[in-house]
Amino acid sequence: MSDTISLPGGNARFGSNSGQPMTRRDGVLKVTGAATFAADNHPDGMLYAVTANATISRGRVTSLNVEAAKAHPGVVEVITPANRPPLAITPEAKPYPFAFNIEVLQDDTVRYAGQEIAMVVAETLEAATEGARLLAPTYEAETARVGFDDVDSFDPDAVGVGAPPVAEKGDIDAGLAKAVNRISASYETPAQYHNAMEPHAMVAQWDGDRVTLDTPNQALVMSTGAFGAWFGIPPENVTIRSPFLGGGFGSKAIVFGGQVLTVLAAKMLGRPVKYALRRDQMYGPVGHRGATRQAFRMGMDAEGKLTALEHLTTSTTSTFEDFIEPASNASHDLYASPALSSRHKAARLDIGTPGPMRAPGEASGSAALESAIDEAALAAGLDPLEFRLRNYAETAPMSDKPYSAKALRECYAQGAEKFGWSKRPMQPRQMKDDAGRLVGWGMGTALFPAPMFQAKAKATLRADGSALVETAGADMGQGAWTALHQIAADGLGLDIAQVEFHSGHSGLPDGGIAGGSGHTATAGSALHAAGKDAIAKLTELAVNDEASPLFGAGNIGVTARDGRLHRADDPSRSESYGEILARAGVSELGGEGQGARDPSSAEEYAMFSHGAVFAEVKVDPELCQIRVSRLVGAFAAGRIINPRLAASQLYGGMIWGIGFALLEEAVHDRRSGRIMNANLAEYHVPVNADVPPMDVILVDEDDRYVNALGIKGVGEIGITGTVGAIANAIWHATGVRVRKFPIGIEALLAETSAH
Amino acid sequence: MTDTATRPAEPAIRPIRFVLNGAEREVAGVSPTTTLLDYLRGPERLTGTKEGCAEGDCGACTVLLCEHDGAGGLTRRSVNACIQFLPAMNGRAIETIEHIGRNGPTPLQTAMVENHASQCGFCTPGFVMQLHAGWLTGALTDRQSVKDAIAGNLCRCTGYGPIIEAGLEIADEPVPDTGAEDAALSARLAQLEGEGVFSYASDGHRWFSPTSVDELADTYAAHPDAVLVAGATDIGLWVTKQYRELPLLIDISHVRDLKVIEEAAGRVYFGAAITHREAREVLAGIHPDLGEMLRRFAGTQIRNAGTLGGNIANGSPIGDLPPCLIALGGRIFLRKGDDLRIVALEDFFIEYGKQDRAMGEFVAAIEVPRLADNQRFFAHKISKRFDSDISAVMAAFCLTFEASGEDVIVAEARLAFGGMAGVPKRAKAAEAKLVGRPFDADAAADAMAAMAEDFSPLTDMRASSEYRLKTAQNLLKRFQLELAGEASGRIAGMGPETLDMAPIGGAS
Ligand SMILES: Cc1cc2nc3c(=O)[nH]c(=O)nc-3n(C[C@H](O)[C@H](O)[C@H](O)COP(=O)(O)OP(=O)(O)OC[C@H]3O[C@@H](n4cnc5c(N)ncnc54)[C@H](O)[C@@H]3O)c2cc1C
Ligand code: FES
Ligand code: FES
Repeated sequence: MSDTISLPGGNARFGSNSGQPMTRRDGVLKVTGAATFAADNHPDGMLYAVTANATISRGRVTSLNVEAAKAHPGVVEVITPANRPPLAITPEAKPYPFAFNIEVLQDDTVRYAGQEIAMVVAETLEAATEGARLLAPTYEAETARVGFDDVDSFDPDAVGVGAPPVAEKGDIDAGLAKAVNRISASYETPAQYHNAMEPHAMVAQWDGDRVTLDTPNQALVMSTGAFGAWFGIPPENVTIRSPFLGGGFGSKAIVFGGQVLTVLAAKMLGRPVKYALRRDQMYGPVGHRGATRQAFRMGMDAEGKLTALEHLTTSTTSTFEDFIEPASNASHDLYASPALSSRHKAARLDIGTPGPMRAPGEASGSAALESAIDEAALAAGLDPLEFRLRNYAETAPMSDKPYSAKALRECYAQGAEKFGWSKRPMQPRQMKDDAGRLVGWGMGTALFPAPMFQAKAKATLRADGSALVETAGADMGQGAWTALHQIAADGLGLDIAQVEFHSGHSGLPDGGIAGGSGHTATAGSALHAAGKDAIAKLTELAVNDEASPLFGAGNIGVTARDGRLHRADDPSRSESYGEILARAGVSELGGEGQGARDPSSAEEYAMFSHGAVFAEVKVDPELCQIRVSRLVGAFAAGRIINPRLAASQLYGGMIWGIGFALLEEAVHDRRSGRIMNANLAEYHVPVNADVPPMDVILVDEDDRYVNALGIKGVGEIGITGTVGAIANAIWHATGVRVRKFPIGIEALLAETSAH
Repeated sequence: MTDTATRPAEPAIRPIRFVLNGAEREVAGVSPTTTLLDYLRGPERLTGTKEGCAEGDCGACTVLLCEHDGAGGLTRRSVNACIQFLPAMNGRAIETIEHIGRNGPTPLQTAMVENHASQCGFCTPGFVMQLHAGWLTGALTDRQSVKDAIAGNLCRCTGYGPIIEAGLEIADEPVPDTGAEDAALSARLAQLEGEGVFSYASDGHRWFSPTSVDELADTYAAHPDAVLVAGATDIGLWVTKQYRELPLLIDISHVRDLKVIEEAAGRVYFGAAITHREAREVLAGIHPDLGEMLRRFAGTQIRNAGTLGGNIANGSPIGDLPPCLIALGGRIFLRKGDDLRIVALEDFFIEYGKQDRAMGEFVAAIEVPRLADNQRFFAHKISKRFDSDISAVMAAFCLTFEASGEDVIVAEARLAFGGMAGVPKRAKAAEAKLVGRPFDADAAADAMAAMAEDFSPLTDMRASSEYRLKTAQNLLKRFQLELAGEASGRIAGMGPETLDMAPIGGAS
């Protein structure tokens, strides 16, 4: 099988592997079932853990029938707050980054439905399951608060991960006062659950004071510190193996209670323990996208230019921890306005703590913002694309910083062209298809930050001229194993086939966090730098060796290409890596590298990926069934390492946009507070029939400031823009503006019957 | 009624015998409600088959099931291992992802890699197995067929496009001729299945698999408190979701007499154990709407296992078939011991949770009349998500017309609905408004208004009461428009292929 498709090109500046649409390196393992996920591990002597989860959302557990569970054949131990062995820290201590106040059976309070209230460990999965059932908990329940209107809101100290809750510039009221047209509109987005296809799982085994954890994890080395903290052991005593993650989307970056309890159970019982969540247990303890209410006020002058843009979000969080969906921040960096205000409030409900979920903040924020912008365009009497162009920001509106690169105009132009946007009638309900369905067209702008974190990597040149590169990165499916491998090979001037790539293990150099769409940029930079470092050392050897054709080229410089060093001024004079090492009597030559953003460019520039999404929907006029029938997205996201992987991320993201716009929503029972659709039958993620023909256009963008490689991210931006585009298309088809997501046929039916 | 004296002795308890990835297995000592998936991932350590939901929704657990047909032939179908019980595998063969491509990647696997059909890869084994089964059974012909094949598989990462491309690529690959091996496997499976009623027990829990309808009648008569299990697409969930104890099960999926479709005098008879997949073509031949309904009924794996009998006997108010069959005037044959009675399907559903079925009585067959020339039929399923979703409303209408002077008037109206009441139910008040007059807009409007008398539907997560009523009404309007030739085309069927819609940009 051809593993790579050879296409001319690649970027000479950085080597020839990057830019190639190679198929994923782990593809064969995946199609043959040989890729092992955490729950596939089965060490000898392993026990199974199953938790009992609360069926009320607020109150106390008053009894657990531990005897009955213990008496069940095969049950080895039942862990409850009454007998839980001590942990080195308390949930409030949070001595590690991204620490949340989690459930580790610290007491008998119930803070949300689905919270773990006991763990049963048994010889078989059936026995553990039956043991958990036999616990038959009783409760003292208090009134559940699961809706916005059940509680008062408050002013949070921070939103997202430590961001300020308020940002303001100019005078909103003055801006509105001088506007010729104004809109104000409120939108609502629901709680959504990641629902990665792989449920969370862990297999924990202790050896003395060292522990090995098989668990899907988006931040391997950081998590060793977290588990170390819980068990009072140094991080290096914790080994995390996470070669494959069955999707993460943010939910596998943060340690949750069940994982700590699994490690604890393994320690307590002196045997390996496996804990694999059932699908229904994924709705509570492992994070979600918090619900929001978002209110806008916008004013436009006679030309349709914004005079004021105000975005106020209220986000839900749990009663015991803050993760405030930073939705208003989506308005900071997109549309130019002399007066700009983004603020957040929060509401505490009896729910599990929300967390980052694919495009946290931006997904919800952009869903509402792009809808509101559509309303503003209509109020201004302008085509939605024209309106966006008139309000195009040349510098980031809130910070006034220049953009490191911004090819959004090209995205608009190429996307609109491909879609055929220019034929769009201004008024709604103007288009029908042959079968009498209403047809509508809408658009949205996509925006996502291009952050970098910290990562380290190692590269080792071997005597035979091949190399090994290592970083503890994570591949949740985005293709890190392939893209990072490509970058690493380029750093070394080697063909990818000559480079062995190790990742997914916490014993390797810290690859940082696979999140925030910054992993390829960060770990990639570290790998590239490590390769460069090894090559620099190799160059030292060669230019100082009289026997080398490169002798004395120190000041002239050499280039590394195809496994050889070439004199910069005379490429015909070259020598292979193997020859240089052999003569120097060096069997291995190591290099190290780091990836992080240059602080001065970080200070100076606003760094984002941009895009434009165009949607067509069809709506049945009587039944109001909605189908997205076409999606076109054009994205500019710096240098694309692997167009195939990048397009796949963007497609996937846009389909998340379909889910957000039309399907996904956790529905709470108002009385018990339980999520009524905690399963894949009723929590609807898009199935293939929901997915229309799609086009993804990768728009060229050369960003010289994000990092030396010019890499941004593509993992999350696809969902932004898409939701608004679909919502706006529905309005265009029907003339009905539904301001509550997901846009249901019911709301539409109620409104359209007026027509 | 078979009396106790003449009843055959209890069959001897045997281990479960089957073929797994080409090798024979003999299993005893596990609970009869052990799922195939837990068995594969547990004792067999075949962890390529994944668990994403344990309730038939995601397809990550898809495996290939082969069975002999009692006549030397072999049939293949994909099923969700997570809701199949292990004893049902007696006399069957299972292939898992580990077996596919054991001699190197198959063309499908290669196509999956080259089309970039995996991101995280957790769903991938399920898709591979599903497409592999589709290819082997000739189900992959065009893009729509590939999409239909994988309607019951979820992927949260890729957005399906590359998976569909991979499926399309192998659609043209010739299926190897395995006639000789199939015959050998068929014989081997028949031998493994054993003679008479297969009986299995563990921990005081019992399982019977009769292979003929008389054996079933006898077994059920001897154990009237047993739970019948057919495709297990409902019952599987009783175990994996509700943790129900099922100490005594009688499996009807091996009863070959219940797996026949026959036709006589314009009436089609479906054995109760006929699966939705097996029934689809014949039902589509009665009316295309029924074919379309079954296309959107769950996903392929569920349709490969779920039976017509189960869809009726489960008494669900939201089952998709009952309204259709009620509208058509279907009847069911109920057997208890040696007694057989025939009940109009609409009378079978008494109230929510209660059917006209006695202890020890089972559904043996379903009789469905074909449409006469003077009849018009319409069926449509309304669900939140287009594919793989339980209906909010299932509507099926059948009108019989007759000439009356100049006019063509409605002689009989049967408007049946699921999702509108505690049982599948006819809208009698609405029907009354249609009879004896032409089926025009006025008649439809009167009947639509009368539906409010017929139904006060529930509000639940799937739909609100108002929505249900309004769509039910609008569906009748749609039928009227369609018959009047005013509404062209069908409502659904908006697959990507329909998208080459030319007249964009015009005013309505
Ligand atoms: C993911 C998923 C999707 C689904 N989608 C749909 C859908 O779109 N539309 C829909 O209508 N249903 C749907 N179902 C429900 C189910 O698949 C059907 O109702 C199916 O027809 C049940 O048949 P079965 O053979 O699997 O029944 P089983 O689970 O074997 O049995 C169901 C019930 O019927 C009884 N029973 C079975 N056969 C007989 C008989 N011959 N005589 C007497 N009693 C009998 C059993 O005792 C049991 O009470 C879905 C289920 C799943 C898991
Ligand atoms: S595990 Fe999801 S269908 Fe079986
Ligand atoms: S590739 Fe991740 S679920 Fe399909």
